[in-house]
Amino acid sequence: MSIEKQPLNPTSNRRTFLSRLWLGLGLVALVQFVGGTLAFLVSGSGKKSTHEPLFIEVGPVDNFALGSVTLIRQGELYLNRLEDGGFLALSRKCTHLGCAIAWDEEQKLFACPCHASTFDNSGRVLKTPASRPLDQHPLTIENGQVNIDIETRNRRQSFKPEQLTYALKKG
Amino acid sequence: MFFERDLFLHTRPRTVPAAALRFRLTWGLGGAAALMIVIQLITGVLLNFSYEPSPLTAYGSVQHIHYDVLFGRLFRNLHHWTGHALIVIAFLHMLRVFLSSAYRGSRHLNWIIGLGLFFLILLANFSGYLLPWDQRAYWAVTIATSILEYVPGFGTAMLEIIRGGSDVGAGTLHIFHTLHSGVLPLLMLFLMTWHFWKIRRAGGLFLPETEKSTLKSTTPPTERLAARPHLFIREKAAAAIVMAALLYPSIFFNAPLGALANPGLTPKTVKAPWYFIGLQELLIHVNPVVVVLVLLPLMLLFLLFFPLLKEDNLNGNRLVRLFFIGLVAGYAILTIIGLIFRGPGMQLGWFF
Repeated sequence: MSIEKQPLNPTSNRRTFLSRLWLGLGLVALVQFVGGTLAFLVSGSGKKSTHEPLFIEVGPVDNFALGSVTLIRQGELYLNRLEDGGFLALSRKCTHLGCAIAWDEEQKLFACPCHASTFDNSGRVLKTPASRPLDQHPLTIENGQVNIDIETRNRRQSFKPEQLTYALKKG
Repeated sequence: MFFERDLFLHTRPRTVPAAALRFRLTWGLGGAAALMIVIQLITGVLLNFSYEPSPLTAYGSVQHIHYDVLFGRLFRNLHHWTGHALIVIAFLHMLRVFLSSAYRGSRHLNWIIGLGLFFLILLANFSGYLLPWDQRAYWAVTIATSILEYVPGFGTAMLEIIRGGSDVGAGTLHIFHTLHSGVLPLLMLFLMTWHFWKIRRAGGLFLPETEKSTLKSTTPPTERLAARPHLFIREKAAAAIVMAALLYPSIFFNAPLGALANPGLTPKTVKAPWYFIGLQELLIHVNPVVVVLVLLPLMLLFLLFFPLLKEDNLNGNRLVRLFFIGLVAGYAILTIIGLIFRGPGMQLGWFF
């Protein structure tokens, strides 16, 4: 029996098998290419933002009066000392669209110049469109010195007293 | 000339129906947009020789282009005004295609390619907006990218990817510059070639039935004329007008360059680029999550697939027309409110 006389079966001959194989290999190559591209982009962008905590020392506890709001330029943040003595470090970025808020000493509130959101000194929203309180930076007090992590910004859904940090009483 | 013979002629048909030559059929909008993209490629490459994409050098290099480089100001102005005008022209082109119902059957894919091109034009404009690194650029990009944060779940991750960090900074400038001068122009050239080729494949420009019967001319509208000279002379004249309309304003009106970007100081009034102001205005009135997850996807689905809907007559589906025109009018109204009636703190008033 010669090869020519074999019936041609279009669904399962060598040619379809090979072209499917090529298609499969092509898809694998495509997935590899897309995966490689994404891996390249993601690992490249990782270098630009480390997200490693970086604490800076901003000064002794006594430098900050009760009820004071101090701008810390290096971290683009405000260090607030509430009336009860608790410390709170708040990001300067409005939680609506990221504009830099300004502290209004007369009205005792943070005002956003972009869409007129306002926040009180604990970061709570007084006026929308902002929908959540100002982001918080981790803060520690060691040996009477206030330290703030300027690289980490924590989102919060509401203000809770345990977010405050207190200095240990002297003596 | 070899350029015309070997290259340009390949992109054009040999003959065209007499009716397709009528200026008011297309208003020359597609051709104008294509020419403007070419102008952007040329001026963009030139500017890129002097531009330095890093926060420390970007602003200074733009000043250098503007004040020191010979013809630098002209090329920068031309690039700036052409970029803005391109959005308008491409949009009008889309509107004209829609109103002529030139999106049926085999042209549906070309409508989608056109939408893709329009999206790329918007992205190109937006990524270019950041490059001068002045206050306007910095804060407009800050608030416009912040909108992404409202995508539930992976919004913050998306924001960090597109900014190359948590805030607009060196990473953002680098990414935007790469997109603006590399990725987007390549994609645009590819889609543009495809767009033109699909017109040829569909048998040339779309001719409405009414067009064929009301032509006031002694030439029968279906008669085919040689593209050379009948089509080319018109295209060259239109191109000359477009060039003049872009060049003269660029001689007299400078592209803006404000104060150097300052991440610690937000100006009194921050607005997104004008083409996104309507979106910014919408976000003031409607919950951002609804906008990002419901309104925008629905609008996109509509724009992509309305040609598949059943048509009442030759003019298409009446509801589709009403909806499309309503969409355009609504966005125009939102843009006008945001552009003219919003002042410091986005308070309503008269601030033009």
